[in-house]
Amino acid sequence: MADMGGKPRLPWVSWLIAAAVACIPLVITDRFLIKVLTFVGLNVLVAIGLALLFGYTGQVSMGHAAFVGIGAYTCAFLTVRIGTPWIVGFAAAGVIAAAGGLLLALPSLRLKGHYLAMATLGFGEIMSLIFVEAESVTGGVDGFARIPPPSVAGFEFKEPATLYWLVWAVAGVALLLAYNITRFRPGRAMLSLHGGEIGAVASGVDVVGTKIKAFVISAALAGLSGALYSGVVGFVSPSVFVLSSSVMYLAMAVIGGAGSLAGPVAATALFTLLEYLNALIPSMPAPIAENLGLYQTDIYGIAIILVVIFAPRGLTGLWQRRRSASSAKGGSLAERRQGSSTQADTPARPEGLEEGEGT
Amino acid sequence: MRGRHLRLSFGVLKAALAAALAATKDAQPISVGGGRFSTSAARSAPPPVSAPHPSFSSFRFSRSGVSLCKRLPVLLLVCALAMSGFGCKTPGSSEEPPSDNKGPFKIGAVLSLTGTYAPLGESAKKAIDLEVGRINAQGGVNGREIQVLIEDDGTDEAKSLAAASRLIDREEVLAIIGASGTGQSMSMRSELNRAGVAQISLAGGTVITDDFDSLVFQTPWSNTLVVPYILDAMVARNVSKVALLSDSGGYGKDGRAVILQEAPKLGLEIVSDQTFNPGDTDMSTQLTKVRSSDADAILLWNAGKEAAIIVRNATDLGLNLPMFGGSGQARLEFIEGAGEAGNGFVFATGRSLVPDNWEKGSAQHEAVSKFAEEYKAKYGEPPDIFAGHAFDAMAIVVAALERTEGMPTPAELRDAIEQTSGIPGFGGTFTFSANDHNGLGKKDVALYVVRDGKWETAE
Repeated sequence: MADMGGKPRLPWVSWLIAAAVACIPLVITDRFLIKVLTFVGLNVLVAIGLALLFGYTGQVSMGHAAFVGIGAYTCAFLTVRIGTPWIVGFAAAGVIAAAGGLLLALPSLRLKGHYLAMATLGFGEIMSLIFVEAESVTGGVDGFARIPPPSVAGFEFKEPATLYWLVWAVAGVALLLAYNITRFRPGRAMLSLHGGEIGAVASGVDVVGTKIKAFVISAALAGLSGALYSGVVGFVSPSVFVLSSSVMYLAMAVIGGAGSLAGPVAATALFTLLEYLNALIPSMPAPIAENLGLYQTDIYGIAIILVVIFAPRGLTGLWQRRRSASSAKGGSLAERRQGSSTQADTPARPEGLEEGEGT
Repeated sequence: MRGRHLRLSFGVLKAALAAALAATKDAQPISVGGGRFSTSAARSAPPPVSAPHPSFSSFRFSRSGVSLCKRLPVLLLVCALAMSGFGCKTPGSSEEPPSDNKGPFKIGAVLSLTGTYAPLGESAKKAIDLEVGRINAQGGVNGREIQVLIEDDGTDEAKSLAAASRLIDREEVLAIIGASGTGQSMSMRSELNRAGVAQISLAGGTVITDDFDSLVFQTPWSNTLVVPYILDAMVARNVSKVALLSDSGGYGKDGRAVILQEAPKLGLEIVSDQTFNPGDTDMSTQLTKVRSSDADAILLWNAGKEAAIIVRNATDLGLNLPMFGGSGQARLEFIEGAGEAGNGFVFATGRSLVPDNWEKGSAQHEAVSKFAEEYKAKYGEPPDIFAGHAFDAMAIVVAALERTEGMPTPAELRDAIEQTSGIPGFGGTFTFSANDHNGLGKKDVALYVVRDGKWETAE
C-alpha cells in the first residue's frame, strides 16, 4: 500500500494501535495491571533497539542489560545525588548508555558471530561487577533506594496511569524513529549487513558506520528504558542487570524475528505478560502459576529452540508464511513453496530495485 | 465464582482473537488491491507451476513485509483487547463492597518461590501455610479467619513491586509479609508508602531497617546485632588482631561493612581484609596472605558453602588460628563439609538454633519447640532459619491483629505492629518501638561452637 511507494507512511492500523495503547489507562483503573503494562513498555523500548541491532544489522549483543543498568544508575545518580531535573538525568542516561554502545561497537568491527557474542557477554559481566563495586555511585549490593518518580516542569509522574503514558510515549517515539530508520537508506544498509558483510561492502555500504550506528542507537534506547525503570520502580539494584536479563532481551529479538520491528515488539509484549500471567488471570489456580514461574526460563529456552528449528525468521516469518498460505486460499504446493522460499531470502535490496524487477 | 471469572476471561480472549482474525482477513484485500504494480493480478491468479521467476519471489516477499506491518499491530491490538478484558473481569476492582463485618483478615505475602532465593521463599511459605492452618483450626483471630495471600516475586525487584501493588490494590491486604530478599523488600517501598500498608520483611539486609521507614519492620537478626556479639566474644578470648574473610555477595558485603565499623570500637584491629566471590572453590591465596599477617584469629563472614572450603584450606596450610563466624555458618552443610577441620569453630546466631537455650517452660522455649515439632510433623524436616523468620512475622501480625478491634485499617494495624512487645518467636523476643523496627537485642543471640559434627552452645 502506501509504504510500497517512495514515501513511507505508517499504515492506519498502527495509529489505531497507538490510540488503543494510549486509551488503556482510561479503560482500566486497576493500578496493578497498569504497572504490568508499564513494564511491558519498558521492555518494548529495549526490544526496539535490539530489533535494529540484531534483527536488522545482525549483530549479537549478550550484554544489553548492562545498558539498561547504565541508564538506570545514571538517571538515579543525577536526580538524587546531584539534584539535576529529571529530564536532564533522563537525557544523560541515553547519552551515557550510547557512549557505552560506542565502546561495545569497537570490538564488533573486528569480531563476528560467537566471538562478538563473547565480547558483549564480557562487557555485560564487567558492567554488572561495576554496578556492585562502585558503591559511591550505585549503592552497591544494597541498591539505590528512594528514587523519586519522573517529573517534568513541575509535573510529577506519580500515578501509574501517568507513568504508563510517559513510558509508552517514549516507546512510541522510539518506534517511530526506528520505523523511519528501517524504511530509508540506513535501514537498508543495516539489512545488507545482516545478509552478509562482503556483499554489503561490495554494494558500497559503510559497514563501520552502520554497525556503530546500530550499537549506539540500541544502547541509547536501552539506557532510556533503564532511566524510566528507575523512576517507575523507585529502587535499583545490581541483581536486575545480569546475564539472564540480557539473554531474555536477546530471546525477545530472536523469537520476534529478524528484519522486523513489529515481531520483536509483539514477542516482548507476549513474553513480559507471560511472567505476570497469574496476576493477569486472577482465578488462575496457584499450582499452574507456580509451575509457570518455575519453568519460565525453560519456556523461553524451548521457545527459542522451536523458533530456530521451525521458524528461523521468528514471529515475523510465521506471520508472513501464514499470510502467504492464506492468500493462496489452499492454492497449489508450488505457491506455498514460493512463499517459503521467499522467507529465506533476506530483503537486502533497496525497494526501488525490486519495484523495477516487479514490473 | 472463581471459575466464572476464568471462563469470562477466556471468553474475552477468544472473542478478541476471532475479531483479530476477521480484521486480518478484511485487511487483506486492501493490501492486495493497494499494490502499485500489476503483480497483484498474478498473485490472485493460479500460480505458475514452473519454477517461479526470482524477481517474482523477491517482490512477493517485500509485499508480505508490507502487510506484516499492518497485521502485527492487529495482533498487538488483540493483546490489548484481551488484557483490557482481563482487567474488567478482575474481582475487587470497584463494585465489591468493602470487607464485611465477619470477613477474614487479609494479609499479603511476597516471597521468592522461584529464582535465586527460591529455597528461602519455599521455607517461608511452608511456615506460613502451617501457621495459617493452625490458627484457623483454633478459631482464627478475634473470631475471624486469617487469610494469607502469597505472591511469588521470582527474586525480581520489579515483580515484587508489582506483587505488592496487586496485593494492596486488588486484595486490599492489611499488611505485607516479605519479601525474602533485601532488594525485593526495598523495591516495594514506594507502593507501601503510597497506601500506608506495613511491611514485615523476612530479609536480613541491615539497610532495611537502617534506612528507616515507619512502615517497615524486619524479623531476621541484622548484622548490626550479630557482628558486635561475635566481636565481643573474640575480645573475651583475648583476640586483638583479626584477619577478616568475607564474600562479595550481599550478606558478606553487608557484614564486612559492619565489622569494619564496629571492630575499632572494641579495640580490635583488622590486620588483613580478604574477600572472595561466592562460588570460589579455593581460598588458599587469601589464607596465605592471612598467614603472612600477624593476625591471631580469623573472622569469616559469608552466606554460602565456601566457608567449609576455607576451614579445610586453612587446615591444609597448617594455619591453626581460631576461627569465628556468624549466621552464615549456622547450617548443617557447613559442619558436614568442614568435617574434622571444623572442630572448635565459634559462631554467633539466634538463640533459638538450640531451643533448649531458652529456659524450659519459658514462652520462647514453648513457641520455638512447638513450631519445630509441628513443622517437622508436617514436612518431615526441621525448620531452617528462613522458616523461622516467616513464623515470627506471622506471630507478630497475629498478635497485632488480636490487639485491634473489628476490622482494622492498614494504618491501625501498623500502629499495633509497632506496639509489639515481648512476642516470643524463633528469632528471639520481639519488642518494636518508634525507632526500632527490628526489635531484637543481644539477649536473642547466642554463641555456638562446633564439636564432633554438631553445634553446641558456647560461652
